[in-house]
Amino acid sequence: MSVRDDIADQLGVDFDAVDPIRVVLYGTLVGLVAFYLSPLESGLMTALKTEAEFATSPPFVPPTADGFTLEPFSVAIDTLASAILNSIMLAVPATILSALLGSFAAYGLTNFEWRGQLGVVTLFIAGIFIPYQAVLIPLSRLWAIVDTQELLAPVLDITLFSVQVPVLGTVELATHPHYASIINLIITHAAYGIPITTLLFRSYYKKLSTEMLEAARLDGASAFTVYRRIVLPLSTPMFAVTLIYQFTQIWNDLLFALVIIPSGSGPAAVATIALNELTGGIIQTFNTQMAGAFVAALPTLLVYILFGDKFAKGVAGEA
Amino acid sequence: MADLTLDHVSKFFDDDGSKVVAVDDASVTIEDGEFLVLVGPSGCGKSTTLRMIAGLETVSEGQIRLGDDRMDNKPPRDRDIAMVFQSYALYPHMSVRGNMRFGLEESTDMADAEIDSLVEETAEMLGIDDLLGRKPGELSGGQQQRVALGRAIVRDPEVFLMDEPLSNLDAKLRSQMRTELQRLQEDLGVTTVYVTHDQTEAMTMGDRIAILNDGELQQVATPLEAYHRPANRFVAGFIGEPSMNFFQMEVHGDTLADDSFTYSLSPESEDAVSGSDHVTLGIRPEDVELVADGSADHTYETTVDVVEPMGNENAVYLDFGDESRFVATVGGMRRVEAGETVYAHIPEDAVHLFDASSGDALKNRSLESVELAEPEPQA
Repeated sequence: MSVRDDIADQLGVDFDAVDPIRVVLYGTLVGLVAFYLSPLESGLMTALKTEAEFATSPPFVPPTADGFTLEPFSVAIDTLASAILNSIMLAVPATILSALLGSFAAYGLTNFEWRGQLGVVTLFIAGIFIPYQAVLIPLSRLWAIVDTQELLAPVLDITLFSVQVPVLGTVELATHPHYASIINLIITHAAYGIPITTLLFRSYYKKLSTEMLEAARLDGASAFTVYRRIVLPLSTPMFAVTLIYQFTQIWNDLLFALVIIPSGSGPAAVATIALNELTGGIIQTFNTQMAGAFVAALPTLLVYILFGDKFAKGVAGEA
Repeated sequence: MADLTLDHVSKFFDDDGSKVVAVDDASVTIEDGEFLVLVGPSGCGKSTTLRMIAGLETVSEGQIRLGDDRMDNKPPRDRDIAMVFQSYALYPHMSVRGNMRFGLEESTDMADAEIDSLVEETAEMLGIDDLLGRKPGELSGGQQQRVALGRAIVRDPEVFLMDEPLSNLDAKLRSQMRTELQRLQEDLGVTTVYVTHDQTEAMTMGDRIAILNDGELQQVATPLEAYHRPANRFVAGFIGEPSMNFFQMEVHGDTLADDSFTYSLSPESEDAVSGSDHVTLGIRPEDVELVADGSADHTYETTVDVVEPMGNENAVYLDFGDESRFVATVGGMRRVEAGETVYAHIPEDAVHLFDASSGDALKNRSLESVELAEPEPQA
């Protein structure tokens, strides 16, 4: 008898017998995985093919040696580079601002008692449910009236936003008037994100031990010190949640960008807008479009990878 | 260092428009260095009282003073008090060292090195010096308890406030910490207000105990005084385990009667009850004697219902043949069986009499027959 049979005997199982239910189960699972991954796979394969190869093979089939090219990616990166930079300059500050302000607001609304608190909380919650479309016209009117460029002229003159980018050289952002519209977008997204981040932080802060916060007060800490030294360090998981959520929202937003950036395009264009430039006019260049989609999606993917474990903790409500 | 005074302190909560009295006109002076235990059943207002001293609740009426210094209108951080919470309330993201440093960092201008040496000194005193680098989550309940104590002690405050600090520990550790806490407090000589619902802690730890019920201060006395000379029926029933036996009696001149038995009174006791129609007769279980025959005065024939052996003593539940039951404790070596008929002697000098409606003590037990070795209350 072989060892395998020995073990099978001891465990009382027959390795040769195949449970039909398990076959169906695993078959279904593999099918579902293929179903969900096929668009991604097809996209990636398309992005790696020449146009000629794309025209002659099904989208999900890997490129042949002749049909393989990285050109769509280089085209996409060239076309999208400045727009991605714009998107980063928009999404990073807007995300951090909305998370931080939401955390402040939640602390004030949850860990202190004051008259009229409930009314204010209700307003915040109502804010979550205002659809973007409902505020588009007021928003565009507002930014038509407020001339951010002029207001920030003294600040922008010190070339605060000049950055060195390896491939592109020095980018003097501050000298571009378009940066004002990115600031407008930052403010809009931060403001729009505050209700949801406040609500998320509030549910988290409700679970903080009251006795612990009281102990800190008795230890001599002011309300702000309690926030800085106790509440803020304990909010890391919830920061991961709000940062990922807000970053994805803001990065993928097209509507506000189209409305707030003048003529919906130009040097202030963000990644979602610039993607349109890859369509290639009359002849659709699917390979560069697909490559562009991957390039534009990369930052959100990176954010998930970087904060993923904390995100899971935050969603599970662990401190 | 100074006395801590609660001067006619009241606390009202607003419950949907109706006023709820949590603490009703409590006045007590806690002397410098004294260990006062606030004890009472759940919801009696003892924690609220402590939180008013801490400044975590506002005072609705009255004043709290430290020496001559009024402190009820100061924010908690300016009161120079340290509090130990039931949940320990440690900062989970900080090491033990960080937890103990926090108060000194926030409330003093001490140099880092000075803070460190103070923290280490205190940690050594509490035997947690090897835990300084750990986070609270890595500590056992008993160790967390010590860190919570250390965090309070290291600040060297005028007053310690402790809110049921031992109730989350297991029984053995609790009695150990009880002794240790008492020793620490004596060594440090810091005025301490200690809240508990556990009458054993109250009896064993306090220089004086303040018994609260329904927000009202019932009695402030040394533990033995509260035990032997309770101010009212509530105190008599709350202090002592098993608790005092009570019988509702009607007054008929020089005898008391209920459905089960009658009790004749000495002239002195008769005087005490002369103003009442109904009284409550109280007798501590250890004062009920089980005797051989029923010929003597105040001796009643009873049946043993249940016996709870404790080892050192037996709690014997007796009944008069009807529903009314009472407890006697007898020596652990004495054999008593359920169902047995025994004679219970209720000696008159050990009897407490309370007014049935107000509950006030009319007559407490005589202490002449017992040797009283009560230590001087510590000033």
